[in-house]
Amino acid sequence: MSHWKCTHCRYTCEDPPKKCKRCNNHRWEQEEENNSWSFTGNSGDETVFQGGGQFSSVDQESDELIWIKDSCNVTVQSTDTQAAVSLQVGLQLAIALVISIAIGDTVQGQAVSQELFQQFNDEQTNKQKIYVDNSKDVNIVTTDTDLSVNIEAMLQVLVALVAKLDIL
Amino acid sequence: MSNLPEKPNAISNKVIDLLVDDTLRRNGIDPDNIKKKLSDQQKKQLKELVEDLTTQVNKFNNQSSTDK
Repeated sequence: MSHWKCTHCRYTCEDPPKKCKRCNNHRWEQEEENNSWSFTGNSGDETVFQGGGQFSSVDQESDELIWIKDSCNVTVQSTDTQAAVSLQVGLQLAIALVISIAIGDTVQGQAVSQELFQQFNDEQTNKQKIYVDNSKDVNIVTTDTDLSVNIEAMLQVLVALVAKLDIL
Repeated sequence: MSNLPEKPNAISNKVIDLLVDDTLRRNGIDPDNIKKKLSDQQKKQLKELVEDLTTQVNKFNNQSSTDK
């Protein structure tokens, strides 16, 4: 899916007219949405643990556009979001598991899980645009720092929890 | 030359400790009781699980930093 965006007022439309309807600007940029989350089955809302009617939903959006034109010898290295997402899910499961084993599937246990996961209820958007034109020998590396931070924080919670329960 | 976003500082362990402590306390859970309840087998399994995940996260982090 691609659409056009006015460079002046950010008005978006599918098919660019000559002039922007809103501000009469005539410069457009194309935006392509590569929402890799939908391919991994994590289309925004992940339900991890459901206790008293609350969800741990992590809204994450990663858009990446890399445009290479009239160039040669260009290498692109992008973050492996799929690996990152499975890691994240693995960590969430592990936290839920530790709690359910240690505290049991009680109201208390569910409350603890909920409260811990609530800390990760955040919306994250990551947009990157890279344009390479008329170039040779270019190396492009992109990273998704949002994901790495989330993963690190969840591991910290897991380790802290396990340390508290004297397992390590 | 690179304008990659800087790798953000890790969240302080103290914040996380406090979060876990407080959450347990507010829900009236005493870690000492749980320590007695868990069998050695369960502890071993959980320990392996956490170690495994730690390795995976480290691997992922190193991979993204060496790519730079």
